[in-house]
Amino acid sequence: MIELKNLTKKFGKKIAVNNLNMTMEKNRITMLIGPSGCGKTTTLKMINRLIESTEGDIKIDGESIYSLDAVELRRSIGYVIQETGLFPHMNVFDNIAAVPRLLSWNEKKIKIRVEELLDLVTLNSSYMYKYPLQLSGGERQRVGLARALAADPEILLMDEPFGAIDPINRAKLHDSFVSIQEKLKKTIVFVTHDINEAIKLGDKIAILNNGHLVQHDNVNNILYEPENEFVEKLLGHDRNIKALVLKKNKDYIQKDGFLVVKRGEKPEKVLELITSAGKKSAVAVDSEGKYEGEFFTRKSKRSQELRLDFNDEVVSLEKNGNLQETFSLMIETGESTMPVISDKNKFEGIINLNDIFSELGNEDK
Amino acid sequence: MMLDYIINNQEEIIRMVLQHLFLFSVSTLIAVVAGIIISIFVTLDGYEKFGQVLLTISGMAQAVPSIAVVALVFIFVGIGMKPAIIALIIYSIVPVIFNTSSGLLSVNAKTIEAARGIGFTNNQILWKIKMPIASPVIIAGIRSAATINIGTATIASLIGGGGLGDLIFIGIKLQKHHITIIGALLTALIAVIIDMLIQAAGKKTIPRGLTIVTK
Repeated sequence: MIELKNLTKKFGKKIAVNNLNMTMEKNRITMLIGPSGCGKTTTLKMINRLIESTEGDIKIDGESIYSLDAVELRRSIGYVIQETGLFPHMNVFDNIAAVPRLLSWNEKKIKIRVEELLDLVTLNSSYMYKYPLQLSGGERQRVGLARALAADPEILLMDEPFGAIDPINRAKLHDSFVSIQEKLKKTIVFVTHDINEAIKLGDKIAILNNGHLVQHDNVNNILYEPENEFVEKLLGHDRNIKALVLKKNKDYIQKDGFLVVKRGEKPEKVLELITSAGKKSAVAVDSEGKYEGEFFTRKSKRSQELRLDFNDEVVSLEKNGNLQETFSLMIETGESTMPVISDKNKFEGIINLNDIFSELGNEDK
Repeated sequence: MMLDYIINNQEEIIRMVLQHLFLFSVSTLIAVVAGIIISIFVTLDGYEKFGQVLLTISGMAQAVPSIAVVALVFIFVGIGMKPAIIALIIYSIVPVIFNTSSGLLSVNAKTIEAARGIGFTNNQILWKIKMPIASPVIIAGIRSAATINIGTATIASLIGGGGLGDLIFIGIKLQKHHITIIGALLTALIAVIIDMLIQAAGKKTIPRGLTIVTK
């Protein structure tokens, strides 16, 4: 737990952070967000004393950080910045080993730890002897995260770590970051200027403006009960769509209103089942319930006779995916329903676009 | 004719070569060590302005011709080996300072911040981060200091420094061109050998990550 108490920072006459009081919860991700110059980065850097506060105190688990040696304090806190923060003259191994070496671990222990961390950030161990110049932006950021985690710190400070990464790779990094945090449960303070990133990753969001704390709450409350106009503007007009990222597909699965048949069923039987149910298509599964594709009927042009066809390239949704991805996928493909499958490829049901629309209309959630 | 002269004056020539190497190595060593120390101090955190000023001065000083430095030292210090060495130090410290301070100042501020943020002390930042990253530029400075010194050492003979410059100027005075050519060729040979040695040493010193060719 990190407590900021009456924290103030002045640069000359300019007040960067003004009497800030807040508590960052243990094992949670707190996102600091606001326009540039709002004091979010200054606040972050005061926690590891890269910037010394002018007034006020910071306590970690009840102990003031000013009672500790600044260098010792920094070695006990993970710190991640944009990709340029890697040491260009050191290979991946030496970069990750930096803090353990400062703490004089023995080399054998360091080697084991580096391997463990590369595995955690899903980089192959062949990366160990590569240099930062040989890595892509996303890979560098994974190494940066591994370096920050090397000595297993309780607290992780992240200063716009994914800011320089293209959107596709950023989404991938977000996913691995979330799954790493699920395993490690660190206390994370994360500075960003991207509200979507804040909503997607944060447990709590702290919104700053002109060095003041405007609102500090869990993501749901921020989205549905913005404190004032400033927060509303920051969230944007589409905050309902943004909020979809918090909803899981699995909570919106419909179990009826569709027909399920075995893939191996005789075509005449399938055709009969579909027509008698008054449908135009049916979901096909194998004998174990795994999703195979979709049977659908169409009229032959000449004889106007109904024919059965099969589509095995249906776009499906993952049970653990979020509703925002589902929404954009449906808009993109023009489908109003989509099948949902589990991680073992089992058919779970379908999601209707209409259900998402009614979710969007529902403001008081 | 040249070969005869070399064979007949073997001992004298060897003495001059050794003298030349002495002039060169003492002055270069002092210039490199002093130049790097000065650069480290003026580029410390908070003193970057001094670094910028010194960088500008040393940039301009590189345009001063060597003979002017030798002449000034002659006026203020006199003649002999010592003044010659002083002149060489003054002249060759310039590229060392210029390269070392520009190298240290150009290390990415984010890299330094990252190092400090994960718990490097100031000393560790200097020796483990800044110096290795600046090493290619620093070594280039040492190389030009060394090359300059071997050449300028011949001019130092004008104020009694000795070395291969003596041979060159004797040849000019006596109008015996073969003697001048021998002096000049030997100086050039030493310069090439020294440069190759520094280059080889540099290759071992510069971290691989800085020179690696990306795919």
